[in-house]
Amino acid sequence: MNRKILHLDLDAFFCAVEELHDPSLKGKAFAVGGRADQRGVVASCSYAARMFGVRSAMPMSRAKQLCPDLIVVSSRHGNYSEVSKKVMKAIEITPFIEKISIDEAFIDVTGVGEPIEKVARDLQHKVNTQCQLPISIGGATNKLVAKIANDWGKSQKRSTEPPNAITIISPGVEAKFLAPLPVQSLWGIGPKTAGKLAAIGITTIGDLAKTSPASLEALLGRFGPELIDRAKGIDNRPIEMEHETKSISNEVTFAKDVNDKEHLLETLRGLSEKVGGRLRKESLAGSTIQIKMRWADFSTNTRQTTLLSVTNLDQEIYSAASALFHENWPKGKPVRLIGVGVSNLGPPVYQLNLWDDDHQKEENLLHAVDELRERFGRDIIKRAGQVIRKEKFDKPEESGE
Amino acid sequence: MKVNVKQQQLAHCVSMVSRAVSPRSTLPVLSNILVKTDNGRLRLSATNLELGITCWIGARIEGEGAITVPARTFTDLVSNLPSDQVIFTLDNSTQTLNVRCGTSETNIKGIDAEEFPPIPEPNLDEGVPLNVVNFKEMVQQVAFAASTDEARPVLTGVLLKIDGDRITMAATDGFRISIREDEIPNAVSRPIEAIIPARALVELARIIGGGDETLIMTFPPDRGQVIFHMDDMELASQLIDGSFPDFRAIIPQSFKTHTLLSTSGLLKACKQAEIIARDSTNVARLNIIPETDEAKPGTLEISAQSEQTGTSEVLVDASVDGIPLLVAFNVRFLREVLEVIKSDNVWLETNAANTPGLIHPQGDEHFKHIIMPMHIS
Repeated sequence: MNRKILHLDLDAFFCAVEELHDPSLKGKAFAVGGRADQRGVVASCSYAARMFGVRSAMPMSRAKQLCPDLIVVSSRHGNYSEVSKKVMKAIEITPFIEKISIDEAFIDVTGVGEPIEKVARDLQHKVNTQCQLPISIGGATNKLVAKIANDWGKSQKRSTEPPNAITIISPGVEAKFLAPLPVQSLWGIGPKTAGKLAAIGITTIGDLAKTSPASLEALLGRFGPELIDRAKGIDNRPIEMEHETKSISNEVTFAKDVNDKEHLLETLRGLSEKVGGRLRKESLAGSTIQIKMRWADFSTNTRQTTLLSVTNLDQEIYSAASALFHENWPKGKPVRLIGVGVSNLGPPVYQLNLWDDDHQKEENLLHAVDELRERFGRDIIKRAGQVIRKEKFDKPEESGE
Repeated sequence: MKVNVKQQQLAHCVSMVSRAVSPRSTLPVLSNILVKTDNGRLRLSATNLELGITCWIGARIEGEGAITVPARTFTDLVSNLPSDQVIFTLDNSTQTLNVRCGTSETNIKGIDAEEFPPIPEPNLDEGVPLNVVNFKEMVQQVAFAASTDEARPVLTGVLLKIDGDRITMAATDGFRISIREDEIPNAVSRPIEAIIPARALVELARIIGGGDETLIMTFPPDRGQVIFHMDDMELASQLIDGSFPDFRAIIPQSFKTHTLLSTSGLLKACKQAEIIARDSTNVARLNIIPETDEAKPGTLEISAQSEQTGTSEVLVDASVDGIPLLVAFNVRFLREVLEVIKSDNVWLETNAANTPGLIHPQGDEHFKHIIMPMHIS
């Protein structure tokens, strides 16, 4: 069965909220953000301002050059999140809602027994009337196409009024809809990748869909073949509902597969420190330590161990992670990705020791390290081993969740 | 070999020795039980090279012999035989043990008894006689505090010290320590100090009865072993090398708050708190409130909370002498020590939220249990 996914995006959200407070702004060219003489940037701009070429994230001084009569309204963020909550509540017609940001969300309405167009119209009407805000909606069988449809639909209405658009892509025509759009419309294609693609004659998503996986892999590496699926409008990611933090993990994908034990252990240490730091920042600790290893053929192993008590100390996380690594790494086997995670989270309570107070010492040390990093950045302080090996190993791509 | 034994005795004996079988050994004979005629009795033995258990039962022996048979097969068979005479006959040429009982006949393929590791013979004249009941109680009060973390082998053992007629046992996992002292019937001429695996002592306590029998402990010279001998049972264990942490220094000499509680009342309260606390690293907060005047007695308030499960609060009447204190303990540690205290009332003595607390039975100076609190940041 095809899914029914909606992407909802409030039109020029900050501006729309300001208009609610000051209806005289309606139809005028104005921007919400910091003042031009204080190096402020545009957080959001009205559709009238957009006609002058003003865009969000632009320096306010530049916006003033483009549109000398631009009215600058200072941001009053507290109220935005209040209004956002009201909107999110209004659109929560199913529990399958993924809030992406203050003004954007996905909803899975597969279970709603009405055509997707009607669901979208009803939702838009609800937001327009209950919250008095314009909202654009894109609909499709997956998140990727729903979002692109919405962006496309909004761009089709160029006027001083908010678009308040609805764009639905029927099942089966996803690839056809995407084909004429520029490759940059796809997530993950920035100017750099677009440049590389243009060099071999690929400018539209349709061009991309017709390219052979091998040639894309040669051009873009492992990311290449994934792009072809996206270009064909294939995206199976589910709606990710909000949940409390159940685990904290960090992982790295190496630029080149690594089979050097020392390098892998050093990476595990760095990841353990990151995970420990994040746990401490959120005043959490966990008792289950997990490592993840992905091999050259993309198969993945995860292994975990449970400690006697919870921890958020780098050293304790690392010693459990490295023990798991030693037990589960076939010597010399190339590793594509490696990760460390901590789960079974709770408040950081630990058992004091009768003889040594290493735990307390480590906690004091990490407290100082965390503070230094907070003020001066991650790299201000490192273990000696990391400084020595810094040049030796490539900088990998990192991600955390 | 031809032997005739009673099924009940055999079943009891098999269940005792099978605790020492190592189920996943690379050496196949260690998964087996030795069955051997021995001076008019039938001897069963099992060992995992660290721990060995032997048991003797009365038997009518018509032919001498020995064989080892797979422990799993033998145990399952014996426990399912009717309560009747069991007749073992060994076919030496095929190393097959024929087991007949009632109307059943089973043939078990064995491994040559020669392959079974030699079991040391204790020199009982050099042994230390121990009172079974006292010794069993000592083990029960101490061994549970040992660590299960194989990374620190010394802490998985129980320190046993004998000096003159004083015997001391102590075990710790680094967070708590149990210390029990007693007297032995005959003073030793040379002091003894050894670290015995807690697991071996727990097995010993499980299999020795509660009667007036005498248990003889021997340390065969230069073997790094201890052997506990009784008339129908023997347990041998490797000793643990290393030095036991110095615990005399960590026993606090004075306390700011002395709390006297009903042992069973406190145990019940701990069990209730643990239902909630077990989902949050076992942490329980103890709020010790001294009596303000005659009309308002002291109390101990035990509370626990868990994000998922809920909260718990239990009040226990207490006689509190000293300053009020809020301190957090691992409630499992509290429960485990209270379960081995036999006196009606128990002392909880404390100084501060980050210093060790002492638990000991009222009117008994032989048992001390020290617990470090939990730190709540």
